[in-house]
Amino acid sequence: MAATADIAQANTQAAQTAERWRAVRYLFLIFLGFWLLFTLFPLYFMAITAFKSAAETNLTQPTFWPQEWFPENFVGVFAEPTNFSALVDSFIIATGNTLLSLLLGSLAGYAFARFPRQAGGENMAFWMLSNRMFPPVAILVPMFFLFDNTPWGTDSHISLIILYLVFNLPLATWLMMVFFRDVPHELEEAAYLDGWKPLRAFVKVTLPLVLPGMISVAMLCWIFAWNEYLFANLFVGSDVRTYTIVIPTFTHGSQTLWNLQMAFSLIAMIPPVVLFIVLRRYMVRGLSLGVVKG
Amino acid sequence: MANITIEGLCKGWDFPVIDDLSVEIEEGEFFVVVGPSGIGKTTLLRLIAGLESADRGRILLGEREVTHLPPYRRRVAMTFESYALYPHLTVFENISSPLRARKKDRATIERRVKAVAQLLRIDHLLDRKPGQVSGGQKQRTALGRTLVADPEVFLLDEPISHLDAKIRQDLRMQFHTLEELRRVATLYVTHDYAEALSLGDRIGVMGNGGKLVQIGSARELFERPKALFVAEHLGQPTINAIPSILQEENGSLFACAENAALRLALSPQQSQRLNGGAKRRIVLGLRPQHVRPADELRGRDSEIDAQIDIFEALGSNGIIITKAGGVTITGLTHPERHFEPGQDLRLAIDTEALHIFDAETGLSLLEEPRWQG
Repeated sequence: MAATADIAQANTQAAQTAERWRAVRYLFLIFLGFWLLFTLFPLYFMAITAFKSAAETNLTQPTFWPQEWFPENFVGVFAEPTNFSALVDSFIIATGNTLLSLLLGSLAGYAFARFPRQAGGENMAFWMLSNRMFPPVAILVPMFFLFDNTPWGTDSHISLIILYLVFNLPLATWLMMVFFRDVPHELEEAAYLDGWKPLRAFVKVTLPLVLPGMISVAMLCWIFAWNEYLFANLFVGSDVRTYTIVIPTFTHGSQTLWNLQMAFSLIAMIPPVVLFIVLRRYMVRGLSLGVVKG
Repeated sequence: MANITIEGLCKGWDFPVIDDLSVEIEEGEFFVVVGPSGIGKTTLLRLIAGLESADRGRILLGEREVTHLPPYRRRVAMTFESYALYPHLTVFENISSPLRARKKDRATIERRVKAVAQLLRIDHLLDRKPGQVSGGQKQRTALGRTLVADPEVFLLDEPISHLDAKIRQDLRMQFHTLEELRRVATLYVTHDYAEALSLGDRIGVMGNGGKLVQIGSARELFERPKALFVAEHLGQPTINAIPSILQEENGSLFACAENAALRLALSPQQSQRLNGGAKRRIVLGLRPQHVRPADELRGRDSEIDAQIDIFEALGSNGIIITKAGGVTITGLTHPERHFEPGQDLRLAIDTEALHIFDAETGLSLLEEPRWQG
């Protein structure tokens, strides 16, 4: 009889434990739900504001659904023709910087991965990465004077393309180094013995293996350059304008055109979102490259 | 098709790995380098392949000096211990890589890859990626990539060491019969002495300091090792190595184990070879197959008293590990017999088959001391 009682007690205990875990799980789900609302709400509010009339954006009692739809806002933002060219300028700068970061970062990363001693070793690689650790404002003014003395000045595509290397190149170098390290050197050696010359071996064997990683790096670089505001605000403005410095122009002395500002922001979100969706598959594989080893 | 000639090859990093190594491997010869792990066997292959640069010495393929040529100009094919298959390419693309690198036309590539795949029995796997085939099939894919290249020299680095016993046996048989390997000079590296003895037309035993301690046929190496190192490395169970001192008594020589009661009389021929030399410190080399329970081996053998320590019955023979006069001696017996630990028995030792090595240099005192045969 005692045994049965024990079993019964154990069962109740197990049931209690299970009950408790279920409660924890529900609490966690509720927390996640709140978190989701918290992060998605600004996006939602941005999207609906983009469709509101200017008057509706200025109500003291905010509305959470447009009383009247104004898709015309999306045309209105381009009343100023330079606003569209700002998106193009941003695209040129982000893409140019990404290509340059990838090219230089891959070469440097390859050197750090394959010839660590000749390339200055782990310390050198880490020093490069540490360039991302200082507050960017610290170099804002010196960089301005530096670029002001170059033939192309500060107000040009090329100046921002090169400047953003300060932030993107260390990241690209470090990540590419990790990805290259994961490709066994023997694969390249096997390719040499098959008769491929080093550059061909690199293209045929190493590059395809680091490609997912490379795409992830490209996305990170591109999005940083696309969204950068601080340096763009100081450097460019008349010949070249990035979209990030156009957004504040919807704020005038007496009022802010929230609807136009949000419409423009929404448009500016499209390229990175499309990029993410198209390259999502590679992105996930790339980010887990260094983690999971075959 | 060419000989490999290696002259005075040296390579080292912080310490010498390959030291003044010279050897000539003939066209069509299957040359096996055997030695313990980390001794420099792979480095030797990598030097011939051009993946490492020699510090000194020359490497010739036929008449052509290749010492300073990059790997892709050497016409050398090599399998890696890790197989080094391209994970993003199919088996077909892996095998065809050397042909594509040499810009063969598509029909030729197709035909030769199919032929090699059939030979290695992986023709049904050509569309798979290396990650989707088994270890043995990966190995054969790597071998296929090597065979298809039609090189002047084959370099095989521990090609079957990491496989299951059964597949290893299968592939070993295949190495015997592969026509391609028998046409050109093949250098095969392994740490497994059985593989070496089974496959090698000639075998080089690589010892400390990256020298080939002895080169010869399987029989030569096994029966007339020039150094204790060679004797210890070939054969399973390992040769009994007993540190001893030579003593002379009534005109004949005895080997007396150091700090132990074991004492073995040497034959007149052996005594003659040793040329007196009493009080000399030696290492007595005694193969387990020449040590048996006295009732199994009769004739001119010396018999000693011993006590069983461990008895192992393995399928084809039995191993007895005994204590005789304070010395541990391993011997063989029939597997169907049975011995209890602690049991006393008389051991017969075939003293004709004794090896005697110098205690200092490790060189054989019965064979002429000749290095790098």
